[in-house]
Amino acid sequence: MSRKETPFFVGYLPLPRGLGGFVALVSVALVALFAAAALLIGGTQDAPQDAAFRFDYGRQTVTGVVELTPYPLLRVTEGNDLIPPGKTLMMTAAGKSGVDMRAMGLEGKLAQVSGVVLERGTIDMIQLRGGRRGIQAAEGEAPAMQTEPLGRWRLAGEICDGKCLYGAMRPGRGLAHKACANLCIIGDVPPVFVTTQPVEGQDFMLITGPDGTRLPKEAYDFVGQFVTLEGDLERRGDVLVLRLDTPTIALVDG
Amino acid sequence: MTTAEAILTAVTWWGVIGGIVAVVFLGYGIDRIDEDADGAFVFRPLLVPGIVVIWPLVLWRWYCLASGRDHWAHRHRPRRHRHRIFAYAMPIAIVAVIVAGLAVRQSWPDHIAPERLSPPAEDSQ
Repeated sequence: MSRKETPFFVGYLPLPRGLGGFVALVSVALVALFAAAALLIGGTQDAPQDAAFRFDYGRQTVTGVVELTPYPLLRVTEGNDLIPPGKTLMMTAAGKSGVDMRAMGLEGKLAQVSGVVLERGTIDMIQLRGGRRGIQAAEGEAPAMQTEPLGRWRLAGEICDGKCLYGAMRPGRGLAHKACANLCIIGDVPPVFVTTQPVEGQDFMLITGPDGTRLPKEAYDFVGQFVTLEGDLERRGDVLVLRLDTPTIALVDG
Repeated sequence: MTTAEAILTAVTWWGVIGGIVAVVFLGYGIDRIDEDADGAFVFRPLLVPGIVVIWPLVLWRWYCLASGRDHWAHRHRPRRHRHRIFAYAMPIAIVAVIVAGLAVRQSWPDHIAPERLSPPAEDSQ
């Protein structure tokens, strides 16, 4: 009785005859399968926008008036080539933390800030250096700063954390970034609302709770998802600030 | 309580319970179910992270070994008869998860235009 030899693979022995074609076929099929999967899945993702830490600009030091929205803004009065006077900067600290405590005693006063810029289009944020080197009171009288009310708006878009959106992460928005964004916002990094269409010439705006409060916890579940909401809008320098009317926030269907 | 807080609270309690189980098991239980561990202590801290993660399994195995319900021959029997099931189930599950994720993904609502509901107030600060 003849007995057909069945090739049997043993890891530490040479590949048996008869299995070479099978292994080659499976190898090519696997590479092709994963390449196709990578292309298909990658094709469904939005391209991250041109946003990044601008370490190439070097450390920036400017002076301005600190405003608490409650998230701190710097209305620049003495700038430099990169950050001209009249610009408004959101401020953050290293990691997933804001600078609220450091800016609190400087509200309405002149302060000198120093750090590295994050840039996304025309929108800037500055990550301050540690301690007093990052933010300290400056000499001089703080000029009065105007806040321009823009009325009540209904908007569609996405709540993000400003730091990741402005280039600390790529992509710094979307559902996959939700947990990171929430941790940043819990750490007092300024939250930002990205609108579907420009509002008063801006696609981004700082978003706060109503009446000068922080973004309410009820909004955390909606971060990173597409929502509609209503709120009062105001302009502070070249930054818009949206005061969220919390009960109006809702997920967009589809 | 937000979803994030609920997840964080659940993970925290899982870790707390796991830490308690680790202390009790490594300080008391392991000597009674593994004679090789008797008098050996340096390796025990290395087991803490694993016990914190899978403490229900640790408790179950501790119960089985301490009560005599364990059948070592069964425990060491290879589960090869289940490999085929998982070989088919895993790629199907991966594809299903990806497809489901894409299916429920929201579309950027660029059809919703900003709408001013009321004009700005006259006064400014």
